Amino acid sequence: MRRFRAWLVRLGGLFRKERSDADLAVELESHLQMHIEDNVRAGMTPEAARRDALMRLRGVEQTKEGYRDRRGLPWLDTLLQDLRFALRMLAAKPGFATVAILTLALGIGATTAVFSVVDRVLFRSLPYPHDEKLVSFGVKAPFEGIEFMLAPEYAVLRSQSTLFESMTSLTPGGADCDITEQNPIRLSCALVQSTFLSTFGIRPIVGRDFVREDDRPNAPRVALLSYGLWKSRFAADPNVTGKTMSLDGKQVLIIGVLPAEFEMPNLGPADMLLPQALDESALDRNNPRVVLRAFARLKPSVTVEQARAGLEPWFQDSLRFVPPQFRAEVSLRVRSLRDRQIEDSRVGAWVLLGAVIAVLLLACTNVANLLVVRAVSRQRELAVRAALGASRARLARQTLTESLLLALLGGIAGCGLAYLLLRVFISIAPEGIMRLRQASLDLRVLGFGLAVSLASGVLFAVAPALSEPTPESLTGKSTGSAGRGLVRQVLVAGQIAGSVILLAGAGLLLRSLWRIQSVPLGLETQHVVTAQISLAEHRYPDTPKQLAFFNEVETRLNRIPGVTQLALSDTLPPSGGMQATFFASIEVPGRPHPSQGTGGMVGWRMVTPNYFPVLGIQIVRGRGFTEEDRAPTENPIILSEALADKMFPQENPIGKSLRFSAFDRQGPWRTIVGVAANVKNNGLIAAADPEFYIPWKNDPETYVRRGYATFRTPLSPAAVVPWTRTEIIGLDPTVPVEFATMEGRVSKLTQRPRFDAILLSLFAGIAVVLAALGIYGVVSFFVSQRTQEIGVRMALGATPRSILRMVLLNAARWTVGGALLGLLGAWFSARLLQSLLFEVHAHDPLLLALALVILLTVGFFAAWVPARRAARVDPMVALRYE
Amino acid sequence: VENKADVWQGTLALMVLKTLQAMGPLHGYGIARRIEQISGDLLNVNYGTLYPALLKLEQEGYIDCEWGVSDNNRKAKYYKLTRAGRKQLAKEAREWQQATDILARFLTEPEKTS
Repeated sequence: MRRFRAWLVRLGGLFRKERSDADLAVELESHLQMHIEDNVRAGMTPEAARRDALMRLRGVEQTKEGYRDRRGLPWLDTLLQDLRFALRMLAAKPGFATVAILTLALGIGATTAVFSVVDRVLFRSLPYPHDEKLVSFGVKAPFEGIEFMLAPEYAVLRSQSTLFESMTSLTPGGADCDITEQNPIRLSCALVQSTFLSTFGIRPIVGRDFVREDDRPNAPRVALLSYGLWKSRFAADPNVTGKTMSLDGKQVLIIGVLPAEFEMPNLGPADMLLPQALDESALDRNNPRVVLRAFARLKPSVTVEQARAGLEPWFQDSLRFVPPQFRAEVSLRVRSLRDRQIEDSRVGAWVLLGAVIAVLLLACTNVANLLVVRAVSRQRELAVRAALGASRARLARQTLTESLLLALLGGIAGCGLAYLLLRVFISIAPEGIMRLRQASLDLRVLGFGLAVSLASGVLFAVAPALSEPTPESLTGKSTGSAGRGLVRQVLVAGQIAGSVILLAGAGLLLRSLWRIQSVPLGLETQHVVTAQISLAEHRYPDTPKQLAFFNEVETRLNRIPGVTQLALSDTLPPSGGMQATFFASIEVPGRPHPSQGTGGMVGWRMVTPNYFPVLGIQIVRGRGFTEEDRAPTENPIILSEALADKMFPQENPIGKSLRFSAFDRQGPWRTIVGVAANVKNNGLIAAADPEFYIPWKNDPETYVRRGYATFRTPLSPAAVVPWTRTEIIGLDPTVPVEFATMEGRVSKLTQRPRFDAILLSLFAGIAVVLAALGIYGVVSFFVSQRTQEIGVRMALGATPRSILRMVLLNAARWTVGGALLGLLGAWFSARLLQSLLFEVHAHDPLLLALALVILLTVGFFAAWVPARRAARVDPMVALRYE
Repeated sequence: VENKADVWQGTLALMVLKTLQAMGPLHGYGIARRIEQISGDLLNVNYGTLYPALLKLEQEGYIDCEWGVSDNNRKAKYYKLTRAGRKQLAKEAREWQQATDILARFLTEPEKTS
């Protein structure tokens, strides 16, 4: 406390120097006089008395110095002095300051912006307490990318497992649900087990959590509202619990409200949570019908690996119930919730972060170079200060202060830039980049930005601090600059290496993007408009109603002028999501039915005859579907070329029969009437699955709550869409319809690679500019240091040409060295990119060569400008230089 | 030259406080002389370090100062003890006493036992 008080007084002491100095002078003077008088009284001569008094005081100035140190805070004083001086130095060379601060702002801004994006993906904890203990577990099978649990197995496990503190599950995909009172809207509802919130450690902010009783199949229906729905529909009414609403035509009791920051563990949409109400008594391990996504909170002492090992016995046991074809292809999977969530984003995020840190290092290198150059030109000043008694530490501190000030100014500018960049990222980013919309410049990110600035400040302060002023520096002649020249050249070589790596990486992503965009889709996208229609279950509970609706849509839309051809289908390429079966389930008469293995997945769609002409899919053999094929008695089928080749190699498949039989269920015999060209059906990047088509029939067996009306129009989509929408609304205003052009659907699939490629290209571009600046700076400095020498050479008969060659050769040495180093780095780092690449080899020699050529060209021109200046040196001027 | 001990680090402040308690308000030179006198001229106060020490005590709030006139009509700064200073003095004196007691016991004990 006393110490703090003293500190405060001393802080105040910084600002009242003059008065206090005068006071001390008076005090010391009276001290001396009293002492002298005492001495004289003791018998000394006045001179001796004065000398003795001064000696006992050990010097007036020294005493004053000690007093001053105690009065203020000497280090703060020095710091302020250093800061003032640093500011003056920056102001004296505004050009230098601007370039340095802008360079840093670029590096720090880009780094901070990217960090704010990847922070959410890679580092920040999930919005659940102790999220590291949350796992997703289940069975991994070839037909499903994410692990799942069959409901009866889940029930078995729940009664056995001792690994988990608690377990919960949700129904994949959730469910559409409609509020069917005034202002009806369609919502996304998540169906969860009653242990859901407690497992994730979340409590409703209003009302209560689900309880076990809510899970009973015939329990009164209850719901938890999302925060957003509570605010928008219930005006954040605190007394909302106990109210009922009409959901899909049934009364549901609202029991609580979720916190604002709640998110589903599968990152799916959820306006409302409803209990799964799974009838456990009806579950049968032999006939599992319900699929779940399972999550658990591990006991504190259990690790993910232990949980995997602990689940192994159950998994082996459950294999008994797996159809034999699948046994070899299913596996157990237990992974942390974070791993499940960031599966796709991890590599991309690390690549971006790596690239941007490389850019930051390049920026720091540039500023370090600038500072080194400046330090050399300030050698004389530093030498003078050293000669006047400034200690080495003091000089080093001065340099450090200047660097940190620069870094801090750059950091502040960088944070501004980061804000802008983040806006840009968000505006060009595709859907589905995890949590990008939540990315913001919060304290944590700004703290990162600040730390980066300070670190970079220290980093580039080290470079000039390497040089110690020597007495010879006082002469102003450059001495011993060869060693520091090496430091500079190594820095620039490193810069060039970094730029080559970034350029090569950007080249790979761009080429991959180009490949993706020119992938043959197998269908025509121009002039094709799609309308996705999803029917609410409560309004269209059975097939006749659903079919009647879609048939009516077909009739009405066909009437619209401008719709030339129209098709209905349950799904559409090229994105995934079609229905699928497995190859081994296809039975051909006269062939043995395979009992081992699945043979891979086969997709299928239900389409009307116009599907092929509307999408421009070629029928390569046989015929397409006709209207007659839609009769319930007809069972034609059309195979894709890939499937036809796989099933009937070297044979004509037309007229052959097949049927689907799996798990003791058998479909009707179907006749192959045609073979269609292959179409991309698994996204643009993944290999296409074989597929087949069956007619969209007026058959009570079909079940179509969701379907697409796809049509071809010579008009602009903007003109046709409103007419189409009016027709569908006329049919049923509550049915939501989403329109898209086929081109739009395809380009959506390239958004993610485009985003990655744009960002990496941006960074590579920045890197090249920085490298060019670096080369230019170093060569300019080389020239200015050697002006005298060049003058002498020219006076002795060197031609401008030979001078040009000398300078360029000097630059070429370390440029080429750096480029080769970069090539090596690019070779190794490209491996990290491989998983982001499509049909591009990570070690594409053409791209590496291209990166090299670009950089060497840029480097040559950056060196050319100052080299030309050297060649034009006037020997007379040069000899008088300095 | 003179065979006098320098004031030990840290004890000067205590001596200053004690002096001010005994003598009432006093200027810097007076304090120094008084310390030397009390020590029977065995201690050699470095006047140069006295002033920063006084400043430190003032900053910590143990002493206060005001301008006055000395016996021989000179303008001089007079220091006096504050209440906090009195308390601090009592505390430090007690601690010092304890420390010396312990040391004394340490240094005498072995002779008795041997």
